[in-house]
Amino acid sequence: MNDGMMNSRTATVAGYVLGFALLFAIWHLASQYLVRSVLFPSPIPVFIRGWALIEDQLLQEAVIASMRRILQGFLLGSAIGIPVGLAIGSFRPVRLLLEPWTEFFRFIPAVAMITVSVIWFGIGEESKIFLIAYTTIFVVVIATAAGVGAVGRDKIRAAQCLGANRFQVFALVALPATVPYILTGMRLAMSNAFVTIVAAELVASNDGLGKMLWDARLFMQVEDIFVALISLGLLGFATDRTFRLLIRAFAGRFNPTM
Amino acid sequence: MGDEVAFVELDGVGMTFRGRTGAYQAVRDFNLELSEGEFFCLLGTSGCGKTTVMNMLAGFDAPTEGQIRLEGRPVRGPGADRGVVFQGHDSLYDWLTARDNIAFGLRLRGMGRAERRSIADRFLNMVGLAGQGGKHPSELSGGMKQRIQIARALANDPRMLLMDEPFGALDAMTRAVLQGELSRIWSENRKTVLFITHDIEEACALATRVGVMKRGPGGTLKAVVPLDLPYPRERTSDAFMASFRRVHELIHAEIHPQ
Ligand SMILES: Nc1ncnc2c1ncn2[C@@H]1O[C@H](COP(=O)(O)OP(=O)(O)OP(=O)(O)O)[C@@H](O)[C@H]1O
Ligand SMILES: [Mg+2]
Repeated sequence: MNDGMMNSRTATVAGYVLGFALLFAIWHLASQYLVRSVLFPSPIPVFIRGWALIEDQLLQEAVIASMRRILQGFLLGSAIGIPVGLAIGSFRPVRLLLEPWTEFFRFIPAVAMITVSVIWFGIGEESKIFLIAYTTIFVVVIATAAGVGAVGRDKIRAAQCLGANRFQVFALVALPATVPYILTGMRLAMSNAFVTIVAAELVASNDGLGKMLWDARLFMQVEDIFVALISLGLLGFATDRTFRLLIRAFAGRFNPTM
Repeated sequence: MGDEVAFVELDGVGMTFRGRTGAYQAVRDFNLELSEGEFFCLLGTSGCGKTTVMNMLAGFDAPTEGQIRLEGRPVRGPGADRGVVFQGHDSLYDWLTARDNIAFGLRLRGMGRAERRSIADRFLNMVGLAGQGGKHPSELSGGMKQRIQIARALANDPRMLLMDEPFGALDAMTRAVLQGELSRIWSENRKTVLFITHDIEEACALATRVGVMKRGPGGTLKAVVPLDLPYPRERTSDAFMASFRRVHELIHAEIHPQ
């Protein structure tokens, strides 16, 4: 069994490496033989440009600026979304009162809120953190509330006839049973946060990967555009993997579908 | 005997479910007295109202007619004096180890870690799972999970045990093994047991009395058969066969009404 797990892990890593190698190979061939335009560079000059940006600390600055906003907004949004979701899932009056809110706001995408957030908070950090928090909250609320609703009836009854009071049922049964749903909601919210941050930085920002994309377009630095795109892909990929590992560590043991 | 209070009393108990499809009287005029230390098997065809009766005695549902009393006091909701073993094994806590599942009730009472552990290990041993306490429910077989459920209920030291077809989903061999273990445990601690089953042989192997239910709507107790056979029961003995035949006739009339 251990052998099988090792093999499947090796296979996964090998799959990633080969998959990315194949992607870059196709990209290279396409740029050499198919498109042949300065607007579509081969990965080689892009990597060279990326290395130069790293040596000048510019790429790191942009990545750190964007990631800091994502993290701050994401943590703020989760810190609000989890308790609200728990309350909606646990108490009927709260659900009846707040469900219209979540059902209303989740159809107003964060990118549509960029203008109003810039008017309210300016083009500094606050507007981006607001937008990321906004996009995080509703996903986390809905996932958390659904998780509370999905706690098996027998799990709660078993606790009651072992002597649990209402608080113990909530803290020792409903809450841990909901953790996998919360983490899944946060994982979805994180991918939304990537979409939102780029859009927000494109429109109004002094730094970050979105700003890098925007400047590169202004000055026709095609390699810079590709460096920013690849960075986004890699960052999102790495973040999502980390989340999946966390979900596995906390929840995967008892929920093999995660 | 007459004015002495029975341990458990179901007095004209009835349950009518009201839903969108109208009212359905699942149980009607159910009368039963259990004395302390007896092993009562409630036997009946599917849908006759066995689980409904147990849910009312456990305190999960309030009867719509009549009253249930435990040592003279009306039952008002679930409590630690009535341990429940559920039909499926969804009631186990997936995020806890087998040992922590068994010790859950002790934890609710604020018992210290070391004491909890030693009690849980004693009950793990009792249900034949010594050394398996570190596993999570997803790592246990169906039979092992039911053993954990039984150990969890017993470790909490309830006054009585309510068991809803605890072995219903197991293969015949595992079922026979668990029946033997349950019988042995009961012989040692003599807890009052209400055991629900639709398996005649199971009822005859375990019970001091078997109650046969009439099919619904309006399911009620049709007859009670006392089984005065020594434990462990010889399933091939003439006396066992005779009891089996008696109960079988009662059930047969329910399956094939004239
Ligand atoms: N919550 C409910 N609402 C409406 N009807 C219900 C409800 N619970 C049970 N019933 C009905 O009551 C009757 C008895 O159900 P119950 O679950 O007690 O049967 P059972 O004897 O335990 O059957 P089984 O052996 O299949 O578990 C059934 O006809 C069922 O449809
Ligand atoms: Mg049932």
